[in-house]
Amino acid sequence: MAELQLQNVSKTYGTFEAVKDVSLAIEDGEFAVFVGPSGCGKSTLLRLIAGLDPVSAGTVAIGDKDMTARQAGERPVAMVFQSYALYPHMSVFENIAFPLQMEKRSKADIREQVAKAAATVQLTTRLQDKPNKLSGGQRQRVAIARAIVRKPEIFLMDEPLSNLDAALRMEMRSELTQLHKRLGSTMVYVTHDQLEAMTMADRIVVLNAGKVEQVGKPMDLYHRPANLFVAGFIGSPPMNFLSAKVVGLEGGNVLLEVPEVGRLALPGDASGFTVGGDATIGIRPEAITTTAPGEPALTLSIAPRTVERLGLHTIVYGEQGGRTLTALFNGDPAIAADAPLGVHVPLKQIHLFDAAGQARGHRD
Amino acid sequence: MALQSSTALARRPQSFTQNWSAYAFLTPALIILFLSLLLPAAATVVMSLTDISFLRPTNFVWFDNYIKLVSDSRFRQAVGNTAYYTVGVTLPTMALGLLAAVALNGKLRGRIVFRTIFYLPVLTSLIAAAVVWMYVYEPYSGPINGTLTQLGLPPQPWLQSPNLAMTSLIVMAIWRDFGTAMIIYLAGLQDIPKDIYEAARLDGAKTKDIFFRITVPMLSNVTFYLMIILIVQTFQVFGAIYVMTNGGPLGSTETIVFQMYQTAFGYTEFGYAAAMSTVLFLAILLFSIIGTKLMRRGES
Repeated sequence: MAELQLQNVSKTYGTFEAVKDVSLAIEDGEFAVFVGPSGCGKSTLLRLIAGLDPVSAGTVAIGDKDMTARQAGERPVAMVFQSYALYPHMSVFENIAFPLQMEKRSKADIREQVAKAAATVQLTTRLQDKPNKLSGGQRQRVAIARAIVRKPEIFLMDEPLSNLDAALRMEMRSELTQLHKRLGSTMVYVTHDQLEAMTMADRIVVLNAGKVEQVGKPMDLYHRPANLFVAGFIGSPPMNFLSAKVVGLEGGNVLLEVPEVGRLALPGDASGFTVGGDATIGIRPEAITTTAPGEPALTLSIAPRTVERLGLHTIVYGEQGGRTLTALFNGDPAIAADAPLGVHVPLKQIHLFDAAGQARGHRD
Repeated sequence: MALQSSTALARRPQSFTQNWSAYAFLTPALIILFLSLLLPAAATVVMSLTDISFLRPTNFVWFDNYIKLVSDSRFRQAVGNTAYYTVGVTLPTMALGLLAAVALNGKLRGRIVFRTIFYLPVLTSLIAAAVVWMYVYEPYSGPINGTLTQLGLPPQPWLQSPNLAMTSLIVMAIWRDFGTAMIIYLAGLQDIPKDIYEAARLDGAKTKDIFFRITVPMLSNVTFYLMIILIVQTFQVFGAIYVMTNGGPLGSTETIVFQMYQTAFGYTEFGYAAAMSTVLFLAILLFSIIGTKLMRRGES
């Protein structure tokens, strides 16, 4: 196992910059998840780590060794692909054995290592089958076994669960987390699904347009997003954003005028604001309550347009001052569509962003 | 259970009255196929059981023509020549086609130009190509012998020597056919997902391992398909031989179809030629069945 160091890594295709000056350290044994929307550069970054594409600038180091100039097969990494990338003409045994055969291991050693890897992913009984006889989940397990058998210092996983159905995805999520604990290896996992990122990661790297927006533990990203992008990307349903004008800065508070809401004083870093300038406040749907909290809160009236009852939660899409607000309530409260609904948001749960979209609030 | 019943219903053939329009659409094609293919084929089999010729009244001789074929040393030589030509053309054509396809599947500069150049011989008229190659093989003024002479090597009787004539025809056939093999292999290569090559590279496979362990086995179906079409095509070789060697020298380029042509239209032994034709048909059918079975096994 080893740590991964990316230093000022960039990748350009012609004039398009897919990865922009990324510097990142992933610790030994860490489960790091690269998350971001399609086209944000997360898979490209993974391919640069794997050596499948050369970097345009910067260095990639694994442990204390510079890997930048090394080819894909010469780096101590193994990769699991979204498409599984199994060799269709080979049996499960041959697929798992392939990397060992390339290392010219003895037949007895190969048999032993394949048996161990197959047992780890519960495929012992399917070793003679061809991949087309297996289910999606089983194919993904073969791909994982093929990665395990190489005993890599770093596992790279490129959206490995995207081709599975929802139920299987949940099962495999838990299996991968357990596998990481068992192997204790460094894992870099790419996904566009923030739920996968939140549930599996030790640390999340949020990427957008080829740049790292924020790196942190899942709950840090949720509670303290660094900017509007991370705030909107992490959390489901996504955070509500309301535009505001700064009308005053006094005593560590930012005084805001929020159209159709009124005046609001939020604790924040005044250095990011100027009086008369723009600001944005962010309210998570789950921060909205129907009962008044015993603390300073913002009170609003919304007109519910759609009510989605999920059993455990109820999601309400309502109109407030010409904009749509999403609220998430526990259980199944008696909320009727189109009947005005009074809601409250504790002030300390409101996020504050400056005109450039950077977080400026002092939140717990 | 309900699902099983509906599947069974769906698979049951529908009656003629339900599908009359489909049969109506098929009929013109079936009539053409019957008149142009099935009827002559059946007539050939019937003819092979007779001694039909312009020279005498026709009698049924049943299997006499086939018995004669077995002991006919000239026919055996034609079978041997055809087999030599088939193997000599098929294997190198496929190997060269595969190598060209692999080379031109990557990001090689000018690959479109190379693909076009390699495919051009396929588009030329066989007779025109044969005439050009006759000049190429010309013993006194041909470019090959000219080059050999300049290098201080003795000129060769390419089409005039029984030892060289068939090989010379094979070289021309490879030149003409490997473009087809290249195009078919290129299509097969483009069907192999990029991820599989990347996984192999990450697994430590070198270029040679990737070619023999990934590319070649994943093209097995394309290979079987190509093998079938090349075998069927080379079994029936006639035009180039007719133009370039006329079966000679000393029968060294006389193939089954050429001999069949000579027997029918040279010696007017139509019954005997029909027996040759039937044997050739059965051989082609056998190779097609074997090839198709191998392809199906590859798919499963």
